[in-house]
Amino acid sequence: MMNLSRSVALISLFLLPLLSFSFSVDNPTDRRVLVLLDDLSLKSSHSIFFSTLKSRGFDLDFKLAEDSKLALQRYGQYLYDGLIIFAPSTERFGGSLDSKSIADFVDSGRDLILSADTSASDLIRGIALECGVDFDEDSSAMVIDHSSFSVSDVDGDHTLIAADDLVKSHAILGKTKIEAPVLFRGVAHSLNPTNNLVLKVLSASPSAYSANPSSKLSSPPQLTGSAISLVSVMQARNNARVVISGSLQLFSDKLFRSGVQKAGSPNKYEKSGNEQFATELSKWVFHERGHLKAGSLVHHRVGETDEPAIYRIKDDLEFSVEILEWSGKSWEPYVADDVQVQFYMMSPYVLKTLSTDKKGLFHTSFKVPDVYGVFQFKVEYEKLGYTTLSLSKQIPVRPYRHNEYERFIPTAYPYYGACFTTMAGFFVFSFVYLYHK
Amino acid sequence: MMARCLARFLVSLLALAICNAASVSHPISDSHRSAALDVFVPLDGSYKSLEEAYEALKSLEILGIDKKSDLSSGTCENVVKVLASPSSALKDVFYALSVNGILKCKTGEDGPKDIVSKLQAGAKDAKLLLDFYYSIRGLVLVKEQFSGTDLTLGNAEAIFRSVKALSQSDGRWRYSSNNAESSTFAAGLAFETLAGVISLAPSEIDQSLIQTVKTGILKLFDSIQKYDDGTFYFDGSEGPISTTASVIRGLTSFAASESTGLNLPGDKIVGLAKFFLGVGIPGDAKDFFNQIDALACLEDNRFSVPLILSLPSTVISLTKKEPLKVKVSTVLGSKAPALSVKLAKALNSKGSSVINNQELKFDADSATYFLDSFPKNFDVGKYTFVFEILLDESANEKGYITEAQTKVPIAATGAIGIENAEIAVLDSDVGSIESQKKLDLTKDGVVSLSANHLQKLRLSFQLTTPLGLVFKPHQAFLKLKHESQVEHIFLVKTSGKKAELVLDFLGLVEKLYYLSGKYEIQLTIGDASMENSLLSNIGHIELDLPERPEKAPLPPLHPTDPYSRYGPKAEISHIFRVPEKLPAKQLSLIFLGLIVLPFIAFLIGLTRLGVNIKSFPSSVGAATSALLFHGGIGAVLLLYVLFWLKLDLFTTLKALSLLGVFLLFVGHRTLSNLAAASNKLKSA
Repeated sequence: MMNLSRSVALISLFLLPLLSFSFSVDNPTDRRVLVLLDDLSLKSSHSIFFSTLKSRGFDLDFKLAEDSKLALQRYGQYLYDGLIIFAPSTERFGGSLDSKSIADFVDSGRDLILSADTSASDLIRGIALECGVDFDEDSSAMVIDHSSFSVSDVDGDHTLIAADDLVKSHAILGKTKIEAPVLFRGVAHSLNPTNNLVLKVLSASPSAYSANPSSKLSSPPQLTGSAISLVSVMQARNNARVVISGSLQLFSDKLFRSGVQKAGSPNKYEKSGNEQFATELSKWVFHERGHLKAGSLVHHRVGETDEPAIYRIKDDLEFSVEILEWSGKSWEPYVADDVQVQFYMMSPYVLKTLSTDKKGLFHTSFKVPDVYGVFQFKVEYEKLGYTTLSLSKQIPVRPYRHNEYERFIPTAYPYYGACFTTMAGFFVFSFVYLYHK
Repeated sequence: MMARCLARFLVSLLALAICNAASVSHPISDSHRSAALDVFVPLDGSYKSLEEAYEALKSLEILGIDKKSDLSSGTCENVVKVLASPSSALKDVFYALSVNGILKCKTGEDGPKDIVSKLQAGAKDAKLLLDFYYSIRGLVLVKEQFSGTDLTLGNAEAIFRSVKALSQSDGRWRYSSNNAESSTFAAGLAFETLAGVISLAPSEIDQSLIQTVKTGILKLFDSIQKYDDGTFYFDGSEGPISTTASVIRGLTSFAASESTGLNLPGDKIVGLAKFFLGVGIPGDAKDFFNQIDALACLEDNRFSVPLILSLPSTVISLTKKEPLKVKVSTVLGSKAPALSVKLAKALNSKGSSVINNQELKFDADSATYFLDSFPKNFDVGKYTFVFEILLDESANEKGYITEAQTKVPIAATGAIGIENAEIAVLDSDVGSIESQKKLDLTKDGVVSLSANHLQKLRLSFQLTTPLGLVFKPHQAFLKLKHESQVEHIFLVKTSGKKAELVLDFLGLVEKLYYLSGKYEIQLTIGDASMENSLLSNIGHIELDLPERPEKAPLPPLHPTDPYSRYGPKAEISHIFRVPEKLPAKQLSLIFLGLIVLPFIAFLIGLTRLGVNIKSFPSSVGAATSALLFHGGIGAVLLLYVLFWLKLDLFTTLKALSLLGVFLLFVGHRTLSNLAAASNKLKSA
């Protein structure tokens, strides 16, 4: 078994020069994750979350955040494909790790789960800031909500939030709706408005605010209402994915197992939505969902099968592209009705929605515009929670050749007639002129 | 290193403490039982090792979950194999016997003898603490499981001394004589080993030896770690849970084996119990086992059995008039002996006591103590209740102990009265009221106001507690939200009886970014003690502010809505150039007919004129050249037709040049013939 996997790894090493790429389209199942904890007891108190990851085939490497031997890469090769930082209080990582190397790790296309908590350290805040997330500057502040807290008997200060304002995206949170509210106790954050890669996954209710529950407010809180994000995700341009949570407890066994009833709501749930939420979110962040792969762009004239080197204006063409989605185990056909193709030269001349055959093939047909020049077929697919597809293929378009215009125009028949009757007349006249007696 | 470990653990325990809302411990309950089934899931029907099997079986047994039948076949096979094999390690034999103690596997009759001799030899030759531990505890297990086996530990006292020789002056133990590092975990193992030696010894062990061990135990308790809430634990390199569990196991079996009894500090035993209960539900099988096993040891021992006071709810709702319930049970949740619970004090946030020395009533059916009436001056807010447990004299033989005082944070909640809510627009200089409206904050009112930058907005309301006192909520925000999503939050401050907010727009124009237009007004009032926290959309105000000066700051950006940013774009289809308009085909055909008409008229005219070709040459040579000439003209004309139909210019010119030369030649011949003929005619 060992030998086999080693030889497979060896073969893939030769075949795939891009093996070191985090989520490589060629080798998506190879997933090593480094888990940084500020206390090894988290391994036990958050075991359900970790064991779901393990059961999905992830190779988790638990390390203390202050471990002096920490390293993300060796000899320029990354040792891990993903990073989970459950060390909110760590002021400084051990070894060669710092916020810059974590930013580099994400820049290399790898994934990160970062969880802060009340009194998160500047280091953790700094990493979050790099991803467009600003945690409340007041380190003693927590999210308080007097209207949608969890009716939990041991809690009297309304800091255990029962949040149910989830992002509506099947890609991020799965197809099964999360019925029970998600329990959250932690610190609020807001999103950087200039960063359009980051988005809220779990938002607070309009009555929430971020403050220290045990002291009176002297000035208005910085973060209030639905501007507060509890859990956010970021998908970088290189499709690296980052989850940032303001609560470490959200992932804990205790909240996974605890029942939940939102204040003022008659619905009582046996189990909170935390486990489903955390599991689905981890599937997303580790590219088990929402990662798209496209085949090459295929186009040809109607009735032909080969791709021409050039199109003539007003040609009818057929266009198709195959798009597949990674399901965690295999590439499945992607089904959607909003994939669009552009026929583009400086600006789109044609923009058409592709129809799908439900087997992953998206196709359409259209007429080449009557403008010649160098065009591009462009598929720029951006959908909430999915990786961005950006494909293009260049194709020149020429005008009609001289012999491709209409040859015998009916309007010109009188002119033709005039010519030929004159010629016939000349022929007859030549006889008459020469031989008349 | 130790300090750092401790700090780290403190952080996590603090997190747990926050999670548990201070220090209310709860005994082991059904949630532990359901979690145990998840934690101790065997892989493919059996456990990886006998050690794991023992931990799982023991924990499940303590929790009263019967899974033995599902697991016995595979695990028993392993047990029998290990016990029968002469080459098994002491550790394996020990765990095999431990599992056998729970599963009662059918081991062969001749099994014990081999094992006994092996364990006895092991005990005799042992140098390491772990070897002593496995062999002695193994022998104890054999004694328990196989009655009538010949078990003598002839050199008991010698073994006792050699184990004792590994102890350190601070009460901790070393694993071997040549390893100077001492550990608290090892101390626990040593106590268990010594307890085994005492029970296996044929005659009494020297009391002075036992006494030194007892003083060692008390010394060990000096190194115990403490949290502020009265939780105690032992720390060591194996982690606090394992270390503390090991010590408790050792103490329990040591106390059980000898008769004089251990005198351990009661508050520390309760503190240890609280430590294990405060851990919650560990997800790790080893931690889970250690927690459950240690609690089981505390539940049934010969020194002191801790009782735990727990509250199903620490929130008292004054509107629902529910009684405050208190439960007292052992750590594993079984019934406590007869006792009474007293509420010694109820301290409010200012530190003065509201309730003093009130005994709680007992409801025998639900085994709950409850306080059903609160004094008249008991208002909403945060309290610290101090409970005391008084044990009845008769029940005290088992050595029950309790915390001297249990402090529990209690939150009393109630409905807060909201009165006299008003919103008004005032003229700034005079202070006269422009427009004033009463508000019903429970409904989303549709107040519509308008103001300019010289005016003020005043919002006021009164909040009263159920006792009629002024209530200051933690959250009282007024939010102004402009159409362009720019939000402004203002605190409504309570002064005197009234909560009031006055917004002077003149001073606020810069803060409002000079944005005129419609602002929605939203009022949020909330507090942990307030059951009717509300979020009310009062209505809107139309603000007329001055123009924005150039240097004034711009309003901040707002994150774009993710739903609108993605999604399909509107389709674009190319608009083709419209082809030129052409006349109808019929029209062209009609004109074609008209064009042909002159030709026909020409032909008719020729026949009318009576043309003939009588002068066509009659001689063969001249006729041939004439025919060739006309054929050539015809060919040129045909070439023109062909040029029109399909030929290109080059082919046409080539053919034309050939035909031209030919025509020149035959044309010359024809014309000269004609000229000769006419000359002949003239001359004739």
